[in-house]
This record gives sequence, structure tokens and C-alpha cells, in this order.
Amino acid sequence: MMALLVGIQLVPSGVINPASKGEVSAPPEIHDTLRRSCYDCHSNQTQWPWYAHVAPFSWAVARDIELGRRQLNFSDWGDYYPVTRKRKLQWMGRALQQGVMPPLSYQLIHPASRLSRQDRAQLERWIDTQLVSAASSSASKAGD
Amino acid sequence: MAPLRHFLTTIAAAAIAVACAGGARAQDEQQIRFENHKFTPQTLSVPCGQKLIIKVVNASQETIEFESFKLNREKVVTPGETIIVRLPELSAGAYDFYDDFHQDVPEGSIVAK
Repeated sequence: MMALLVGIQLVPSGVINPASKGEVSAPPEIHDTLRRSCYDCHSNQTQWPWYAHVAPFSWAVARDIELGRRQLNFSDWGDYYPVTRKRKLQWMGRALQQGVMPPLSYQLIHPASRLSRQDRAQLERWIDTQLVSAASSSASKAGD
Repeated sequence: MAPLRHFLTTIAAAAIAVACAGGARAQDEQQIRFENHKFTPQTLSVPCGQKLIIKVVNASQETIEFESFKLNREKVVTPGETIIVRLPELSAGAYDFYDDFHQDVPEGSIVAK
């Protein structure tokens, strides 16, 4: 059993932080909130907990982070098509309204990730501004 | 004689109900296939005002996420997997869907008429 536990530590877990393809640009207060509450799962700047380096936990953590990054990655923001960015913003807005992000299980382990009412309001305003700007940008392109 | 007639009427009514339900189910069930990095069909026409079942078949070798903001649905579909997306009665209109994991995959549309 001990040999097995030691042996599985040699299996690559995927616990890595790839290079950014274009970090999201946002006002400092928004960026701080995103870093505190979202970045661990939705960026390439994950602060990996100690257990993320111990198999078999590392496999599960790495899989969750990979899925989170594929769904929304603030480090790939610059690489998103405008329509993709708009969709991500819309889903972010919905997740905030429904109160499903950050997930409760994550908040229990990372209490600092909890969003205050003010954090939510700030994020919602930022999302609205980004969506309006995206809409006016596509409208002006259509008018060209 | 009356009980027999009653029994036969009940059987006939049950048979008709089952046939109708079966027909309705077949009509309500639609399929979207993901293969060669695209959805087929790209435009799926569905009747509005009735509940729908959409099977999403991932016949490719890549994991996708079938997603639609308008329909409020998102679901990861692994290679070879088929998922069932249940939709409520839709109002007439177009509802776009896409693969959230590959932004270069052309988006599709469910058109309720």
C-alpha cells in the first residue's frame, strides 16, 4: 500500500500554470476581486494548495481546475473572440445573480474568496459596462 | 356483456393513449450531432409551445461543452457520450448554441416556430 502511494506520486498530475495569452484588463478593485475569488479556478495563476501536489488528490484538483479554465480563463481573455468574451460576461453575470460563484465548497476552504454585497455590485457594474461596450463596438463595426 | 364492453373500451382507450404518447415523444425528440469540429444540423427547427428533448451526441474525439446562454444550459460531453437536454416550451424565436470549449466551432441555432 505504501509502495503504491509512493508510486502514484510519479504520475504527472497536470498541476501547472501555463503562460498567459492575454490577461483580463479591469480596474484595480475589480482585478483584486477576480484574483481573490475567481483566479484559482479561472486563470493560469492558480495558487495550488499543498494537497494539489499529493496524488491522488492532485488528479482531482487538476481536473477541476482544467475544467474551470476551459469554461472561463481570465488569463486567456485577450485570446477570446469578441462573441466569446460577451458570452463569458453574460454567464458571469448570471452566476453572480444566482449566487453560485464562487462555489460554496470552495468558499468553505477559502473564506477570503467570499463576495460581499459590495463586491457583487461592483462586479455586476463592470460586467454591464463591458457588455455595453461590446455591443456598441459590434454596432459600430456593423455600421462601417 | 356490459363488463366485457367496458373492459374492451378501456383497453382501446389505453391503446390510443399509449400510441399518442409514443407519437408525441417521437416528435419531441431531436438530435444534434457533434463531429468533424461542427454541429449537425446547424439549424434545428422545433415546434414552439411544447416541451422538447434534445439528444446531443458527441461523435468526435474531443470533449466539448454544449452551451446556450439563451436556453440556460451548459453540459460537458465527453467523446462518444450522448447527453439529454430537456427544454421547456419555447416561445417562437432563435436560440443559439455553441461549444464553449472551442470558440472556432461554428455556433448553431435552435429555431422554434
